[in-house]
Amino acid sequence: MARMKFLCDADRCIECNACVTACKNEHDVPWGINRRRVVTINDGKPGERSVSMACMHCTDAPCAAVCPVDCFYTTADAVVLHSKDLCIGCGYCFYACPFGAPQYPRVSNFGSRGKMDKCTFCAAGPEADSTEIEYAKYGANRLAEGKLPLCAEMCSTKSLLAGDGEIIAAIYKERVTQRGYGSGAWGWQTAYRETITV
Amino acid sequence: MQENRQAAMNRRKFLGAFGGASATAVAAAAVTLAPDEAQAYDPGKEETGTRYQETEHVKAFYRVNGYETLKK
Repeated sequence: MARMKFLCDADRCIECNACVTACKNEHDVPWGINRRRVVTINDGKPGERSVSMACMHCTDAPCAAVCPVDCFYTTADAVVLHSKDLCIGCGYCFYACPFGAPQYPRVSNFGSRGKMDKCTFCAAGPEADSTEIEYAKYGANRLAEGKLPLCAEMCSTKSLLAGDGEIIAAIYKERVTQRGYGSGAWGWQTAYRETITV
Repeated sequence: MQENRQAAMNRRKFLGAFGGASATAVAAAAVTLAPDEAQAYDPGKEETGTRYQETEHVKAFYRVNGYETLKK
């Protein structure tokens, strides 16, 4: 069975934030919450690198391990989802997540920070598929419509890949075989001179 | 005086019996309410089932992103 995965080809990401905008628009994500973010390291220096980050839908998800109300579940597609009806907004998952994926609509301590919100791999939540209530709580259910996450579909440089882990891994592997990786990639030495090593 | 003492003794017996019964009830409730082993939220087979389908739309995404592979 296919396991859904995200893979960001950092050699291609140009920090355009189209993935962030697409996500916010598709799911009508409220102010203050970003389900996806673009992180840039060495900003403005040779070797600058950007990567688009969201929930990585871990196999053994630490958020699920620490949740005191056990509101997380993993679907047959290996997508980690949660129930907003059960979430108490304690914030434990935020501290446990290595990617900073869980977000809260309000900023304060226990309980009053609101129900946790995170990337759903465009698979929404436990409500019936493509219903109004599901959209209001979790956003669009593109996976049920036979589509993939919009962030990846919108990526102009084909940096962000999403879908069947085996297929996107094969696509990335082929790219690396042909063009190299990091400073060995096409265009890097032209842009940053031959001395650059990343 | 004797009557008062008798009344006090009756009251103590009553309270003792009542207290004993309460303790038994509390113990019984504790047994009934003993927490089960923690279980993860399960929304049911319907909602945890597979949603991914390899539609033409999805195939087009793979094809477009893997064009380097197709060049060969």
